[in-house]
Order: sequence, then structure tokens, then C-alpha cells
Amino acid sequence: MNFAPRYLGRGSWLARRDPRVLILVVALFVTTALQVWDLRLMVVLFAIAIVYYRSARIPFRAVRFQWTFAIAFVSLVVVSNLVFASGRVQRLPPDAVQHVYGHLPLFGTPVSAESVTFAVTQWARFIAMIAVGLPLAFALDPEVLGVTFARLGVPYRFAFAIDLTWRFVPSFLADFRNTVDAQRVRGLELSSGRVRGPIAKVRRQIPVLVPTVVNAIAGAEDTIDAMDLRAFGTGRRTWFRELRFDRTDQLVLGGFVALLIASTIGAWTAGTALLWVPSFLIPGG
Amino acid sequence: MTAATMNRSTLWSVDSRTIVYAAVGAALYGVLVNVVKIPLPGSTVDVRPAFALVPFFGFAFGPVVGFFTGLVGNMIGDQISGWGLLTSYNWSIANGAVGLIAGLAPMFLASWLSRGLAQKAIAGAVAGSIGVVIGLLITFTDIIKDAQDVNTSVTYYTQAVIGDLVATIILVPILVYAWEPVKERLGR
Repeated sequence: MNFAPRYLGRGSWLARRDPRVLILVVALFVTTALQVWDLRLMVVLFAIAIVYYRSARIPFRAVRFQWTFAIAFVSLVVVSNLVFASGRVQRLPPDAVQHVYGHLPLFGTPVSAESVTFAVTQWARFIAMIAVGLPLAFALDPEVLGVTFARLGVPYRFAFAIDLTWRFVPSFLADFRNTVDAQRVRGLELSSGRVRGPIAKVRRQIPVLVPTVVNAIAGAEDTIDAMDLRAFGTGRRTWFRELRFDRTDQLVLGGFVALLIASTIGAWTAGTALLWVPSFLIPGG
Repeated sequence: MTAATMNRSTLWSVDSRTIVYAAVGAALYGVLVNVVKIPLPGSTVDVRPAFALVPFFGFAFGPVVGFFTGLVGNMIGDQISGWGLLTSYNWSIANGAVGLIAGLAPMFLASWLSRGLAQKAIAGAVAGSIGVVIGLLITFTDIIKDAQDVNTSVTYYTQAVIGDLVATIILVPILVYAWEPVKERLGR
């Protein structure tokens, strides 16, 4: 299982966009989706998200773990919300009544046409947001991460920190694996089969967690020295790569801005921020 | 620039050391949070031992490092796992707040930090625990963001606090114990 981010979308239509587009689109889309609870509009947003994701041409087998996790976790969250809410459904239109099908065994939570619609809408919304966000990890050139955030207005020191973070990820993952291997050679049993209780299981991680962390911090001294020698932080810096929006970038951004404006207006005037229940879900509807 | 030597004027300074420690903390948290997860019996939440890095980095290197470690580390962890960078951005801000509050220890636990290593380690656990309880309150914004029921938010908050407190109370003092001698050896 490879957790390290890889540039899998290299050469795709999305990877050829100005990298700021990928970040801005995620922010615009998430803000748009958060305002929509009308399932009909959510289906449209879902379709847009899938088309956008497909344009990154990320091979499915390379991100199968991420999709499996995302779908499983979203489903768990949606079902948990349904159970914990004990039948209360948010975003219902005023004076709406719930059409109850029955009650969940063990929990006694009522399941209604409205709670099912809420769960489906929430599920579609999470998956759509994930589909739009995933290309950031796999279709954004890691070489331009720093300049991208700097050109988005992030102070250059923190833009550099984000760049540095992304670069550290694969090497720290490798260090962690080496530490695990080294401790296993010394006889440490990490799989907590015979260990009971979360506290004992956390304590079992100490021999791998502590060396990995302390080595990473101590090893960072070289990076600090290198930055100090190059007078980091003493004045305004320039970046090696220049970024420019081309016509396609502007059109893509314009489209997502229009979507945000439309969803905001719809939420305030057309009730798209309220739940819409398909008639076929309503008993006798 | 560790908790023992930080004072109120240097608490918010941002130099190359701050930037590199912040990046190290965020990368470590982003990587390790996905690798080791321990299910908490009777809940939907996992204990994530790597969470202890957020209060530890805040406590050891200051509020700026702590905030960055929590915020960016959580975003990277979410992104790598497939959950998405901004899908739960309020939880990332909450993680950042935990690191920030732990990093403010010199302001509210100053007397403990000037004592021996044992007190410093305990101070790390206390500062981290305060950070967890207060910082994760931000997750209640799910009520607005995701139209989440109040009971559901209380359940998630309670589960997250319990899981993160387990990691913080056990691991932060150990990390402080492990790091302090190394820091002395490096002359920091």
C-alpha cells in the first residue's frame, strides 16, 4: 500500500492547467457544494465533479486504496449520522412532515423518506468533494507547489513550508518503514494481536514512533543550516517558475465561480439549501 | 527555540527554524496518521497515535509550528488517504488550534517549564490535553457546515477528544523525554 503522493496525472488535461486552478477549483467547489441540499442539483454537481476528476487521467489501480477508503468512510459517516441523529432531519422545508418507513433494529432510530434523502444527498456531496480534491494529490506538479501557494497570496515563508512538507512526505514514510523493519529485526511485535485495550496498543507504537520523530527533527538541522546560509527570511524572494493563467484556465475558473454564484443565489432565493425528497420515496406519493 | 527557552516575544517569531520544524511536523503527522490507527471499542473513532505530534510540536517549538503541524498535517493526511484536502477543513483548523494552544504553554505553564525534565514532560501532556479539549470545539462547526445534528456533533467531539487524549497523555511526555537530550546535544 503506497501512501506517498505521486504525480500520476502528469501530461493530462488537468495537469496542464495553471496549478492555482486546481487549488481554487477545490475551494470554489467545496463552497458551492456546502450550500446545496437539493438532490437534483447535487446530482449535477456530482456529474461535474466526476468529469473534472476524469480529466486528470489518474489510473484507477494506483488510487484504488484511496477510493476504497473514501467510499467506505463516507458511507460510515453517513450511516453514523443517520443513527446518532435519532430521526431528526436537518434542512427540511418549513412545515414538512416525515414519512417514516420503520425503525432501525437495536438503535430504534426512525428511518424516513426524508432521512434517506438526507443521507443520499450527504453521501453524494462528500464523494463529489473528494473527486474534485483528489487531483490535488496526484495531478499537481510537486515542483511548483511553493510558487503556487505564494501566488495565491500565502506569505512566502509559509508557501515554502507547504512545499517543504510535501517534499518530506516520501522520505519520512521511507524512514518510518526502515524503523519498523529495524525494530522487527530486534524482535518487536507490532501487530497487536495479543495486546488488549487501546492504551496498551498505543504504548506498543512507542518504539517506532519516537525514533522516527526524533530522527526527523534532528535531521532537519541540515535543511535549517542550508536555508540560513541562503539568507532565508531576510528579504523578498523570487521563484524559479512563473505562473500564468491561459484562456482555458480562465474559462474553467469562470465556470466554477458561476457555479458558486448560482448556488448562493439558489440557496437564498430558490430553496436549494433545503432538502428535496423524490416523490417515489414517499409512501403513496 | 523550545518551550523552555521561548518567551512571549519570541513565541510568534517566524524564521527558518520555525518553517522547517513546521514542515517536519506536518509531514510526519500527515504520513503517520494514516499508517497507525487503533480502533476505540464502542465508537466509530480510532485512536491515532500520530495525533500526539500536533501538541508535541506546538509544545516543543511554539504555537506557529503547532498550528501549521495540525492544520497542514491533517489536510495532507486527509488528502493522501483519499478523504480530500478541504472535505473536512474545519477538522483541520481544529487540529491546528490544538497545536496552537499547546504552543502557548509558556504563557500559562511558565513555572512548570523552568523546572526539571519530568515537570516539563507533564506540562507537555497538560498543555496538549487543554489544547485537545478546547481546540476540537471547532468541530462543532459541522452543525453549520454539514447540517449535522447537535447530538451527532457532541458524539463525534466526545469520541475524538477521548481518542486524542489517550494519544496525547501517553505519547507527548515520552516525546518530550526523548527530544530534550537530543536538543541539548544539538546545542539548541
